[in-house]
Amino acid sequence: MSVIELQQISRHYQMGQQLIKALDEVDLSIQRNEYVMFIGSSGSGKSTIMNIVGCLDTPTAGTYSLNGQDVGGLNENELADIRNREVGFIFQTFNLLPRATALKNVMQPLIYRGIRQSERKAAAEEVLARVGLADRGDHLPNELSGGQRQRVAIARALVTHPSILLADEPTGNLDSQTTTEILGLFDELHAEGQTIIVVTHEPDVAAHGTRIIRLKDGQIESDRQNERQRIEH
Amino acid sequence: MSTERKVSAARLNAPLWFALTEGSRAAFGSIRAHAFRSFLTALGIIIGVAAVIAMVSIIQGLSALIDQELSGLGSNSVIVTPRNTFEAQLQGRTSRLTEDDYELIRVRVDGIESITPVMQTSGRATYQSQSSNFPILGTNHSYQTVGQAFVEQGRFLSISDNETRRPIAVVGVDIIEDLLLPEDPIGEYIQVNNEWLKIVGVLEEKGSILGNSLDNMIVVPFGTMARLNGNRYRPNIQIQMSVVNIADIPRITNSIRRLLRTSHNLGDDEEDDFNFQTADQLQEAIGSILNTVTIVMGGIVSISLLVGGIGIMNIMLVSVTERTREIGICKAIGAKRHHILLQFLLEALVLCLIGGAIGLAIGYGIAAIATALIPGFPGAYTPMWAIGLALGFSGAIGVIFGILPAAKASRLDPISSLRYE
Repeated sequence: MSVIELQQISRHYQMGQQLIKALDEVDLSIQRNEYVMFIGSSGSGKSTIMNIVGCLDTPTAGTYSLNGQDVGGLNENELADIRNREVGFIFQTFNLLPRATALKNVMQPLIYRGIRQSERKAAAEEVLARVGLADRGDHLPNELSGGQRQRVAIARALVTHPSILLADEPTGNLDSQTTTEILGLFDELHAEGQTIIVVTHEPDVAAHGTRIIRLKDGQIESDRQNERQRIEH
Repeated sequence: MSTERKVSAARLNAPLWFALTEGSRAAFGSIRAHAFRSFLTALGIIIGVAAVIAMVSIIQGLSALIDQELSGLGSNSVIVTPRNTFEAQLQGRTSRLTEDDYELIRVRVDGIESITPVMQTSGRATYQSQSSNFPILGTNHSYQTVGQAFVEQGRFLSISDNETRRPIAVVGVDIIEDLLLPEDPIGEYIQVNNEWLKIVGVLEEKGSILGNSLDNMIVVPFGTMARLNGNRYRPNIQIQMSVVNIADIPRITNSIRRLLRTSHNLGDDEEDDFNFQTADQLQEAIGSILNTVTIVMGGIVSISLLVGGIGIMNIMLVSVTERTREIGICKAIGAKRHHILLQFLLEALVLCLIGGAIGLAIGYGIAAIATALIPGFPGAYTPMWAIGLALGFSGAIGVIFGILPAAKASRLDPISSLRYE
């Protein structure tokens, strides 16, 4: 069964007199444990497809099934619930809560699921250890390096055991050394069975994926499997 | 990775309680993170509550003191005074009580412990080169019991003083001070309205109520009083009495009413031309005045609470804008509308309640200091209802002025919030 099933998905905006087709009748299916890279120039529809797949945005036409569930008719609160359970977001700018410690940031999604504080803490500590930040739990985001912040964000995305990990330019704000580290972490997660979807414009990053989808003008220009080169860590 | 959810199994059964505790945790965290700004925001509430509490405490302390003082007058005392309706005054009629009325009640009514006529005027008293105006009370020996006026030196009026219209006076301590009388003024003569009176006693010091001294009285025999006022003056008096049994007061006032109506020749359709006052009534009257003052002042001061509430709303709106991105993050990771709504609402509520509690402490402090600094002023008294009202009011302000910013926050769109710089 596909994790993600997009059928004839369109996202149109009306901007004054002009109709902007951010996505236009896209069909796409992503299987469990795929490592998908969306590439394309800016304005190609990468971010729009991310927002729709992540249930932050709703398409103007077409049907989207996530884990076999049609999310089309869901209201705002039900979508929030889907985001909480099924999707782990990773952003270019990390988007951590600035006044919460690393541990609190990782615990945050579990609050919305109604989990007790002691259990939240245990779960968050486990995931922080998984991303190699066991000893940084009590640091505020601004006390951490960019790479560490992104690891906290990854831990926050993983703590809910989501069906898909959704990363929007995850290495866009990182230097090449840290980029390699973060992509290495992604590779490990993929090896453990995680479904990962990444939006990027860097060919080096895209090379990590098992499938590369190129978007152009709101449509899929190419969709190919990627023979991954061996990456030295 | 497996999609089994270890963590989700431990769901809490009480989602509302959970939401409240988590929301309060977040609210406290956010208030602590902006401690100084939170303090400034709550300042309006702090000042408002402090003002209400200080004001109510001072007035209620005063009220408690007056109650105490009045019960010292004796709740078994009854005073009969002439009653002049506005109508009667327009017709040029003035009702009076006379010495005959006093005699009538004294002789005909049972259950009276002691009774005394009291005639009060003021007059100029002179001793050597000093002279000043004082209230003068014409009465008899019974006033000692009825008016709780006891002598410190010398003696009070006696029965014979009244009958023989003896030219003597019992004075309060203020007279000794003001007229520069010797320490022991017994036997000294003072001139009051051109009559020479010999001082036979000095009254115990009573202090003052609301800034009015109770020690500036010159007490003279009732019969002597007529001389001071000249012979043409028809005395208008009050009749003060104390009763043996408080439960008898209604019966006694009824018989007095019957007697006086007959002696004043009042027809069935005419109203009484006299009034009864009991200590209870006086206490009630003063109490109701003070309560009105409390309510009016409280209302005025409450406006500052309203202003404080608007301040809270203003800062909360700024805070929502400032934290737009945070709200977007929370929504992206699964926060529902009510999570965001509750977080901001609780933040406003907690802010107001903390402000209320601080205001309560400050207000109590101000009242305590103010009453301690004013000499002779009673201690502050903070009634429970004032505390409840102040905290309830702050809480209500938190909810009322927090709901708009909270609703605004909860309605933000996650995508545009995430892009917000």
